[in-house]
Amino acid sequence: MSAGLPEPGPGTGPGDDVGWRRPSPRLLTARRIQAGLVIVPAALGGGVAAATAGSPGLGTAVGLALVAAGLAWERFLARRVAAWGYAERNEDLMVRRGVLIRRESVIPYGRMQFIDVTAGPVERSLGLATVRMHTAAAASDARIPGLDKAVAAQLRDQLAALGEAQAAGL
Amino acid sequence: MTTPPPCGPPPSHPPSPGDGDIASWHRLHPLSPVIRAGRQTLTIGTALVALLVLNQHQAGTDLVIDLIIAGLALAGGVVSWLVTRWQVADGALRIETGLVRRQSLRFPLSQVQAIDVVQTGLARVLGLAEIRLRMAARDSSDGRLACLPLAEARQLRERLLAMTRAPGSPAPGAGEAGAAARPGAAAAAAGSAAGLAWPGYASREPERLLFRVRPARLAAGIALSRTGAVAATVIAAMAAVAALTGQPGAVAPFLPLGFGIVLAVWRQFNGEFGTNVAAAADGLRLRSGLVQTTAETIRPGRVQAVRLVQPLVWRAFGWCRLEVDVAGPRQRRENEAEGHRLRALIPVGSLAEAEQMLGELLTGRPLPRRRAPARARWKAPLSYHFLGWDGDDRYVVASRGRVSRTTTWVPLEKLQSVRWVQGPVQRRLGLASVRVDVAGKRVTGGIEDRDAAEARDILGRLPGLARQARIRAAH
Repeated sequence: MSAGLPEPGPGTGPGDDVGWRRPSPRLLTARRIQAGLVIVPAALGGGVAAATAGSPGLGTAVGLALVAAGLAWERFLARRVAAWGYAERNEDLMVRRGVLIRRESVIPYGRMQFIDVTAGPVERSLGLATVRMHTAAAASDARIPGLDKAVAAQLRDQLAALGEAQAAGL
Repeated sequence: MTTPPPCGPPPSHPPSPGDGDIASWHRLHPLSPVIRAGRQTLTIGTALVALLVLNQHQAGTDLVIDLIIAGLALAGGVVSWLVTRWQVADGALRIETGLVRRQSLRFPLSQVQAIDVVQTGLARVLGLAEIRLRMAARDSSDGRLACLPLAEARQLRERLLAMTRAPGSPAPGAGEAGAAARPGAAAAAAGSAAGLAWPGYASREPERLLFRVRPARLAAGIALSRTGAVAATVIAAMAAVAALTGQPGAVAPFLPLGFGIVLAVWRQFNGEFGTNVAAAADGLRLRSGLVQTTAETIRPGRVQAVRLVQPLVWRAFGWCRLEVDVAGPRQRRENEAEGHRLRALIPVGSLAEAEQMLGELLTGRPLPRRRAPARARWKAPLSYHFLGWDGDDRYVVASRGRVSRTTTWVPLEKLQSVRWVQGPVQRRLGLASVRVDVAGKRVTGGIEDRDAAEARDILGRLPGLARQARIRAAH
């Protein structure tokens, strides 16, 4: 191996088989609704504005172009939703996300300061919630969106218990 | 943590908090309101002079209003002094304050990150000082005792520090500090207590000077820094405008800007003048300031990260800046500019001085010897020559920067989270970055643009090594 780091001792290494778990499939629905809530008014507004300023044909063209952009965005959404994953390992939580910029974060349970579960209106209507872990570092970013409400509550309790058991001082 | 303060029989005269009974309630010094209002008075005075100079009419009403404001501030200060009292009991500093809204603040000494003695300009004239307790929590406010006589403030600080490392408090050990901890002796006389030794420092000497900034070099360093360059440009531009138009009045609209920039330069000079770092039994003692002096003790094991900055122009002179990141909120009130920066142990110094200080802070530190692969040049052409990292079982070090080289050391037991990031260009080149986060907002160790397999390997090993380091530090 090329890394200059020594090998961690026995019993402390990362779990070899990272069993990635995924958010609920309804997250894609939620993201589609959220995208639609932006695109549809934008297409209508843009179309009407172009129609009043130019000709009705221009208005239709602008509206259709915006709808097409929304559909292209939708293709991207599916990949982004599929990229989310999290794994509960023995000592830490791993979260991965991103398509264009891929990120993987490792947050030791002992470093979690608090955990919050939030749900926006769209998420709530689909029975979903977002779990977010906070450490003392502002740069740590660990959130898992689109978890089933029951899974989110269970994950929160589990993480809280693990965090308490392994808590470490600053 | 619950060591009762060593208190004798209650004295009949009002006890002096420095050497006497600190468990009973005390008032602050009667002149405190003057100091507190002094800040406003000074500000108003400055504004007044500016107003008088700029427009000589209409100053009368402003003067009356300002006097009323200053008077109200002073009256408020007196009332606040009357209703404020403090004590040290049950291992905590308690402050009761407030007239209408009573507040009872409790600051557990076991969670204190640092205790500072601060003297503002006016307080210095009157021989008073303020004590500030910096707490671990990110958003909790500081404990402030303003003001006490200077000698008492120093004594009280020593005693509080002795109590923060009293038996039962979590050992704030870094590295091998656990071996040097003698909790039982901590209750002994402050200063000579063989409490926690800074790593590599186990002497019983009260203090050992590590660094003192040279005023001339500090002035030159600031003049050659970005702040100095901006100030010089602005002043030169204003002078040019005045000279070209032939009437000095043309620059009047830009005066506040110029004033602000000069103030920023002055603040930096004032804050870093006479920076003096000494190793003592209770940590690194840091003193600085020209008009307003600050004394601060950085306890061992509270350093979250160490950063060495070498700006372009400074490199020509072999100068550098060494900063440490300490957990806890920064002191914001007086030094707004200071709030955004880390604590500079060496504001300007030679590389040799920085090496010595680094040796004091970190035991057996690695150097960023592992260069980035050559193809990283495509992704980061400007910073490629500075990219590097290394790590062992105690520290990770990473260097980066385009014009100014920044090297960051992070002790593994301080690591909060590890992130692996790969952007589209990096993916095309088979590269990835690993970022190491520590508490706070200011420092992230970035191991940039490594071979993807190497980055993956770092991500795989760092959490385990950090865990071992945490376990080691806890013992």
